[in-house]
Amino acid sequence: MAQEGRDRMKMFRSHILLCGGTGCQSSGSSEVKKAFAFEVERRDLKDEVQIVETGCNGFCAQGPIVVVYPEGIIYMQVAPEDAAEVVEEHILKGRTVERLLYREPVTEEVIPYMNDIPFFGLQELRVLRNRGLIDAEKIEEYIARDGYLGAAKALGEMTPEQIIEEVKKSGLPGRGGGGFPAGLKWEFAFKSPGDVKYVLCNADEGDPGAFMDRSVLEADPHAVLEGMIIAAKAIGAHQGYIYCRAEYPLAVHRLEIAITQAREYGLLGDDILGSGFSFDVEVYQGAGAFVCGEETALMASIEGRRGMPRPRPPFPAQKGLWGRPTVLNNVESFANIAQIILRGGDWYASIGTEGSKGTKVFALTGDVNNIGLVEVPMGTTIGTIVFDIGGGIPGGRKFKAAQIGGPSGGCIPIQHLNIPTDYEAITEAGAIMGSGGLIVMDENACMVDVARFFMDFCQDESCGKCVPCREGTKKMLNILTDICEGRGREGDIELLEELAAVIKNAALCGLGQTAPNPVLSTIRYFRHEYEAHIKAKRCPASVCSALFKSPCQNICPVGMDVPDYIALVRAGRLEDAYKVLLRTNPFPSVCGRVCDHKCQVKCRRGQLDESIAIRSLKRFITDNAPRPKIEPVPVSRKEEIAVVGGGPAGLTAARDLAGRGYSVTVFEELPHLGGMLRYGIPDYRLPRDVLEREIDDIRSLGVRFRTNTRIGRDIPFEDVHKEYDAVYLAIGAHSSQRLGIEGEDLQGVYGGVEFLRQLNLGNGIEVGSRVAVIGGGNTAIDAARSTLRLGAGEVMILYRRQKQDMPAWLEEVEAAEDEGVKMHLLVAPTEIIGVKGKVVGIRCQRMRLEDFDASGRRRAVPIEGSEFVLDVDMVVAAVGQTSDLSFLTGGNGVSVTRWNTIEVIEGVRAMTSVAGIFAGGDAVSGPATVIEAIAAGQQAASEIDAYIREKNGEPPYRPPEEQRIDVPVIIDDEVEEQPQAKMSEIDARERIRSFAEVELGYSQEEAMREACRCLRCDVEEQ
Amino acid sequence: MPKLKVEDLKKIKEEVQRATSPREGGKRVKATVHMGTCGIASGARKVLNALVTAVEEEGVQDVMVTTSGCIGICSKEPLVTVEVLGEEPITYYQMDENKMRQVFKRHILGGEMQRQFALAKGLE
Repeated sequence: MAQEGRDRMKMFRSHILLCGGTGCQSSGSSEVKKAFAFEVERRDLKDEVQIVETGCNGFCAQGPIVVVYPEGIIYMQVAPEDAAEVVEEHILKGRTVERLLYREPVTEEVIPYMNDIPFFGLQELRVLRNRGLIDAEKIEEYIARDGYLGAAKALGEMTPEQIIEEVKKSGLPGRGGGGFPAGLKWEFAFKSPGDVKYVLCNADEGDPGAFMDRSVLEADPHAVLEGMIIAAKAIGAHQGYIYCRAEYPLAVHRLEIAITQAREYGLLGDDILGSGFSFDVEVYQGAGAFVCGEETALMASIEGRRGMPRPRPPFPAQKGLWGRPTVLNNVESFANIAQIILRGGDWYASIGTEGSKGTKVFALTGDVNNIGLVEVPMGTTIGTIVFDIGGGIPGGRKFKAAQIGGPSGGCIPIQHLNIPTDYEAITEAGAIMGSGGLIVMDENACMVDVARFFMDFCQDESCGKCVPCREGTKKMLNILTDICEGRGREGDIELLEELAAVIKNAALCGLGQTAPNPVLSTIRYFRHEYEAHIKAKRCPASVCSALFKSPCQNICPVGMDVPDYIALVRAGRLEDAYKVLLRTNPFPSVCGRVCDHKCQVKCRRGQLDESIAIRSLKRFITDNAPRPKIEPVPVSRKEEIAVVGGGPAGLTAARDLAGRGYSVTVFEELPHLGGMLRYGIPDYRLPRDVLEREIDDIRSLGVRFRTNTRIGRDIPFEDVHKEYDAVYLAIGAHSSQRLGIEGEDLQGVYGGVEFLRQLNLGNGIEVGSRVAVIGGGNTAIDAARSTLRLGAGEVMILYRRQKQDMPAWLEEVEAAEDEGVKMHLLVAPTEIIGVKGKVVGIRCQRMRLEDFDASGRRRAVPIEGSEFVLDVDMVVAAVGQTSDLSFLTGGNGVSVTRWNTIEVIEGVRAMTSVAGIFAGGDAVSGPATVIEAIAAGQQAASEIDAYIREKNGEPPYRPPEEQRIDVPVIIDDEVEEQPQAKMSEIDARERIRSFAEVELGYSQEEAMREACRCLRCDVEEQ
Repeated sequence: MPKLKVEDLKKIKEEVQRATSPREGGKRVKATVHMGTCGIASGARKVLNALVTAVEEEGVQDVMVTTSGCIGICSKEPLVTVEVLGEEPITYYQMDENKMRQVFKRHILGGEMQRQFALAKGLE
């Protein structure tokens, strides 16, 4: 007892609290207590550490619980054997035992510090320095953060000349958009004679998507007032106005409170801070006309006249409000001033670029994860703002462009992500810094529609005073609307450019002069989109709804009628649905398995929850519908066509040509038809019998096949050219690109496509026990998953960028990971190491990411000294594919591009430089997708047919009447959120034992549920 | 209210710093609801009311509720920063009334940070 009594009085440096509640007791806390007591005793810590048993602390599921004070660290599920480590590490060495800490069950992640989050960490707060820290309605809190000390210094210690000098030294450009140096502007106003002068704050923020000024006024209104006081002292003004739009009620409210409080404290009014200087401010609420952001219109509005601009000069610094010298700056500019005075112009100019100093606030909005307000040093690249601070594009979609500068600005496209936020660089790129609105657009944005939107805005907001702006913007808007609605005409682009030049030159004020900028900038970078709208009446982004039936159909390279076949699934009419599929696609059951389904990216349902599983529904139809019988088509024409290559492009062309009555022969080097479908894609994704059935249908039409026949080896190319009326070269890209490193010819090193070809030819391949696959495309993934199935012990993929940069489809990458393929990211091989001619290892180096390349991905560069060796006994190099065009070298005149693809002549898509020879598929486009090859085959068939008919003087081909299939319109009144129906798969552990198909297809119920999710965008409003 | 002189600014600064610091001001917890337009539009007012009501109902004296402006990451609004004496401030995101009541009960009163709602700790 005596001992215990002394202990109670004693100070211990550390307390170990053990929960002794019933819950913890039952999970063994008494044993834990004993263990701790033993450890404390053993280390002679009895006088320093006190062990206390407490009551239940409520977290019984995680017991036994031990809390160590003074740090207050909680350890969970502590076992007696943990005691030694906790005492040793925590009590003796002061280190937390991480593994016993509580983990949040969902994320498993430790909460980062604010500055560890790139959104915050990469920002530099000057204008926004008080954000989130002070109560905007309490002036004392502003003062506590050095508020009004800048004004005190300016009023008490500085002459106007000194103030102006300091602001000039800072290099602060007016942040409203024009970027005219603030110091210079002040100097002009200071030097203008007159005893009545004004300071105006432009808070008429009107750009769509911009909200910087509003936020500053709401969060830190005194910073603006203080800047205005300093400006007033600099130019000798005694009255100021803040012109704020009435649509910003909270900003106006907080400004009014701030002004009242500042007056009460004598920070506005007479004899400010006892300096003898007087200045007061009033808020003038504007009605929200965009033109009133223009300085002369703004002043007219304050004077009580209609807000319209007037020609300059005279500039406001000479003759401004009521004809008096006036300084007009925007909110952000004024919010910078107090800090510049307090810390000096040099401090301000210490960050930024050569020509643009300090920081800039951007309102980051649009298709970006972290929508918000960011302040960054000048010179921060657009890519950093969008991807690091902004967190990238939601939904894994692709960045397309950043619109900067609002209706006066322009867009920065993906290839210019490295452009710094610097006045000069942005202007060079065809945009303007503007006030700081930054709208991110992803691949689903139509740039013509964007231009139309901004022109609509400007036309709406044009004050009507000058003709170029009033009439010109209207004319431009009409042209843009016509283009978007399918009435575009040849020459419209040039007309837009001409009008733009006139408006830019002749409009009275900034609104008109800059109104054409979004149009010019989108023409500059996205002319092809304008052309697609005008010539092909096609909106590539599937936005301009007058030009298509539904976005899914519009994006499909062969224009599959998705809404129709989905509606037929819902109606239970699978046979009709199958007929709809076959109209545009000879390989629906192949595409139902391996199509890259661009349609699903565009699916409008995706904006609600998840896109429709279009690909899976297509497969459901082909798996379950009775197959339509194929009748041979009689040869009705005398011309004979040769197709070289039995892949999807060649087979599709053969099918279409046979359908038009031609006699068609397909030459194929390998024993079986199908090209990459057979020799590239493994069985577990596309079973052979599925493919064979669709090839058989083409055979049934009457197409002749000659397999095991290579043109240029078994038959000279010249002979084929001579014997046939037209030749279609669809030879694909069946050679792997070399890595270009040492050791590539060792035994055990394969090219990706060569490996898959050997495998699918049935030539047994002995795989290694540790396999490295190099590359991030679908071939790499296919090779990796195949080696696993062939019994490789460990399979890893080496890729030099990040996972999200992989060209392979995400679902394939994830499936590979599920099966146990290891991803080594940001790693590139430098040498394959061999012993006695056999692979034993691969030397790699780590990569780090730098600036952005033209594809919008970060460039990977090697980290010096980061080399390491992986022990492997097999290497598959799948870093790209190319075509073997050696048979074209015989002086036959078919041109080849410098990327080793067959050149097709401009204006068409399939005819080569030699009349009668056509080409398509991967051999022209480089490695692409199945559906693109099918589209190429269709294009080739119609070009070949047109070529022959034109030569014969025949009228163009007219397709026969199609059988009419009525499609029911069932539209649900209410749409409930419901995710995509997941397709069942064979379990990952099971499936790597064989090449059996992984995906099992939808059941009847799943397909029906999925089909009912379709929103039927194709149905026009009644 | 008296007109200020330059020295007064410094005096106010010191006084306010003392008051706003939960350590010195006798308040154990300072909870800031970020009330910019973005916050209000996404429901910050309801969150603030829920917090104030909870404070009143519990009758606690050592919790200071205050408001502030947008901290920039508007897509995560409503945001609430909880600063317990002697601990890192924790900013919670996408709050609603229920989450606010839970944070009040478990973090402000119970001392247990609600990890699942937390955006980050520390100040920018």
